[in-house]
Amino acid sequence: MRTVDRTPGVATAAPARPVAPVDLVAAGVISAAGVGLDALGDALRAGRAEGGRPDAARDTETYPPVELRAADFAAVDLLGRKGLSRLTRADQLGAAACGLALDSVADPAGTGVVLGTSLGSAGAVARFARDTFVQERPYLVNPSDFPGTLMNSAAGRTAIRHRLTDVNATVSGGPLASLHALRYARQTLLAGHARRILAGGVEELSPQSAWAWHRTGALAPRVALGEGAAVFALESPGERRGAGTPPLARLMVCTTGFADVARGALVVAHRLTACVEGALRRSGLTAQDVAVVAPGAAGRRGWAAVEERALRAALPAAADRHRLPVHAVLGETHGAGAALQVAGVLARWQDPRLDTRHEHAALVTSCGPDGSVGCAVLVRANAPV
Amino acid sequence: MSDKAADAGRRVVVTGLGAVSGLGLGARAFTAAIRAGRGGIGPVEQFDATGFERSLAGEVRGFHPEMHLRGTDPARWGRSGRFAAAAARMAVLDAGIDQRELSALRTASCFGTTNGESQVVERLTERWVTDGGLAGLDPVLAGQADAGRIAAAVSAELDLSGEALTFGTACAASNYAIGYSFDLIRTGEADAVLCGGADASNRATHAGFHRLGALAADVPRPFDERRDGIVTSEGGAALLLEPLDAALARGARVYAEVLGYGMTCDARHMTNPDAVSIAECIRRAHHNAGVKPGDVDYICAHGTGTRANDATETAAVREVFNDSPPPISSIKSMLGHTMGAAAGFGALACCAALFEGFLPPTATVRQVDSALGPDLDCVPGQARAARPRVAQNHGFAFGGNNAVTMFGGFSR
Repeated sequence: MRTVDRTPGVATAAPARPVAPVDLVAAGVISAAGVGLDALGDALRAGRAEGGRPDAARDTETYPPVELRAADFAAVDLLGRKGLSRLTRADQLGAAACGLALDSVADPAGTGVVLGTSLGSAGAVARFARDTFVQERPYLVNPSDFPGTLMNSAAGRTAIRHRLTDVNATVSGGPLASLHALRYARQTLLAGHARRILAGGVEELSPQSAWAWHRTGALAPRVALGEGAAVFALESPGERRGAGTPPLARLMVCTTGFADVARGALVVAHRLTACVEGALRRSGLTAQDVAVVAPGAAGRRGWAAVEERALRAALPAAADRHRLPVHAVLGETHGAGAALQVAGVLARWQDPRLDTRHEHAALVTSCGPDGSVGCAVLVRANAPV
Repeated sequence: MSDKAADAGRRVVVTGLGAVSGLGLGARAFTAAIRAGRGGIGPVEQFDATGFERSLAGEVRGFHPEMHLRGTDPARWGRSGRFAAAAARMAVLDAGIDQRELSALRTASCFGTTNGESQVVERLTERWVTDGGLAGLDPVLAGQADAGRIAAAVSAELDLSGEALTFGTACAASNYAIGYSFDLIRTGEADAVLCGGADASNRATHAGFHRLGALAADVPRPFDERRDGIVTSEGGAALLLEPLDAALARGARVYAEVLGYGMTCDARHMTNPDAVSIAECIRRAHHNAGVKPGDVDYICAHGTGTRANDATETAAVREVFNDSPPPISSIKSMLGHTMGAAAGFGALACCAALFEGFLPPTATVRQVDSALGPDLDCVPGQARAARPRVAQNHGFAFGGNNAVTMFGGFSR
C-alpha cells in the first residue's frame, strides 16, 4: 500500500497525481446582493449588500436578535407561479439558481445536479417535526410537506422542473457542503457519469436555524446570517471543443480532508495547509500563482484564526494578492458559503471595471467545526490547461 | 465482462463489513439472521409511539456505543453518527487491518443518510414545543444537528484524514456513497474508504410514512399479493473498500469485488417511482461494471413492500432482463426499511451472499403477487444455497434518486 509522508501527530494527504481540469461554463447565483454575478460583483466592490426579505410567510416564529442578510430575489419571477407554494425556501433557491445556470446551456441533455446543503430546509424539517407533537394525532402531518423535509428535496425538485434525468446528488457537511458538491461533481463528471453537472450549494434562512446560530454563539461578531445559492455548470474541456464562448473559469482541483477537532484547532489548521499545498501541487501551480483568496471560515466564531494560520503556512505573503471577504458582504451562508465564494471570484474576474488580467489563479478555502477542511483551485479561462 | 472501459483503473474490493442493525450487531450476526430469514421488527422504543395507529419498527436493541467506539466520545455524536462510527469500527476489525496503517493512508469516509441526525432534531423540536419557543433551544444539541457529522463521526473514530462526505440522497444514499468510494479508489484519489450509511428511528419519519398510508400493519411483505407497506427501521452499515493489489499484498480476506455502479434521476415525481428511469439506471450500472444482464445471478431489491415500489421495480427489472430476471429478494422483509442505510445493508447482504454462497431470502412473502408477472423468484422463506458470481444491489429514493451498485465474487 502507498503511504504518505506525515508530520508527527498530523495526518496529511498529498496525492501527487496531476489533475484533469473541468470548466465552469455557466453560473446561477442568488444572494443578498441580488440575482446574478453582476449584482454580486457590485456588492463586493461596494463592500456591502442590502439583502432581501426573509421568507416569513410560512412561520409565525420571529427571528433572534442577529443581523439578517436574506437573498434578494423574487421566486415567482424565476420559477413562475405554478407549484411555487409547494417548494421550500431552499427548494426555490436551488431550483432557481440551477435554472439560471441552465439558461446559458444550449443543450441540457445529459446534465446532472449536485447540491451541497447543511440539512436542506431546516424550516421545513422543524415545522414537520413540530406537527407530530402538536397535532391531535402524531401522524396528522401534512403529507405534501413530507418530501420538502428531505435533504435531497431541492435537487429532486430541480430535476423535475428542468427535466434533468442524470446524476442527481445531495451532499451535506456544514460549511464544507459546497466544496463537497464541487469535488463530487468533478470526480463524477471525469468518471463519465454525466456530460455536464450543475454543482454548487444552497442554504435557506429560517427562524429555526437562526435561533440555532444565536443559541450556540457560533456566529462571529459583526457577521450577519445569510442565505443563498450558487450553482455552476461543470463540463470537461473535451466536451466543449468547438464551443464559441470561453468558460467562466477552470476548476483545477477541489480537495477535502479531515482532522478531528478534538485533537486541537492546530491540527485542523495543519490539515488545511496540507490540503492547499496538495491542491496547488496537483494543479501545477505555485503559491505565487494565487492572486485571489476567498476564505470561508471567518463567519464562524474562532475559525478565522484557524483558516488564516493555514493560509499563512501555505501561501507566503504577497503584496498584490487580493482578499475576497465574501462573508462580510453576504453574511454567513453555511452550506452555500463556498459556492458563493467561488461566485465571488467569478464576479471579480468578469467585472470590466477591474483590471484583473494578471490574476492567474484563485483559491477558495473553508473549514468546518468538526474538523473538515477543503479548498478549490480556480484558474482564468484563458489559461493554458 | 467485455465492454468495461480500458482505463478502468485499479480494481476495488470489499475486505471488511460492519453492521449495527435490528438483526444484530456485527456482520456475522446480521448475515446469520439473513440466512435464517429471521426478522427484527418489534415495538417502537426510540420515541413515544402513543397516538400512532402503527407502532412497529425495526430498531437496534442493546446498542451501547461506548462498547464499540474507541477513538471518539459517543456523547459528541447523534445516534446516526454513532451507528456509522460503530459500524465502521466493526468493518475495520473485520478486515484485520491495522488502524494506524489505515490512518496513515489516504482513507476517506463516505456515508449516506435520509434524515441525518433526526433524533437530535426531534429533541430540539420537542423542547421548542414544550418549553415555549425557539429562544430556549439547547445549544449543545443544536451543534449536533448537521447531517454532515455522520461521516465526520467515522473519521473521528478511526483518525482518518481523507474526505468525510455525507450523502443526503435519501434512501438511495448508501449506494451513492459506495459508488463514489469505488471511483475514488479506482482513480487513485483515495487508498481506502469506509463507506455505507446510517439513520435513526424517529417520530417525523414514522409520521410521514404513516400519513402517506405506507406503513405495514405488522411486518413488511415485499412481493406478496397482500403487501401493505414498509416498516420504519434504523441502523448503520459499513464496508471497507481497498484496491485489490493492496488487499492481496496484506493477505486480506476478500468478500467481493465492486464492479461498478449507475445513477439516474426520475425527474417526474418526488414520491412515485418511475420504471423507465430505474431500468435505465440498471443498464448504466451494467455498462459501468462491464456486465451483461445474463451475467447477473442475484438482485438485492430495493423491495420496500409498498404496492408501488415492488410493482415498479419488478417492471423495470423485467424490461432490462428481457422478462426473465434472476432471483430477486428483499432483505427489508427482515430488516424493515433502514432509510439511508438500506442500500448499505443491501451491499452487505450481496457481499455475504457472494462470499459464503447463498441467496438472501424474502422471509415474509406468503403468496407472490401474480400481478408482478410469471415466475418471479423472490427466494421465499429462508436463504437458498447457491454460488452467485454477480450480485446487483438496488437503492431508490424519494426525490427520484436511483443508484444501483454491482458486486462480483472474487477468488484468487
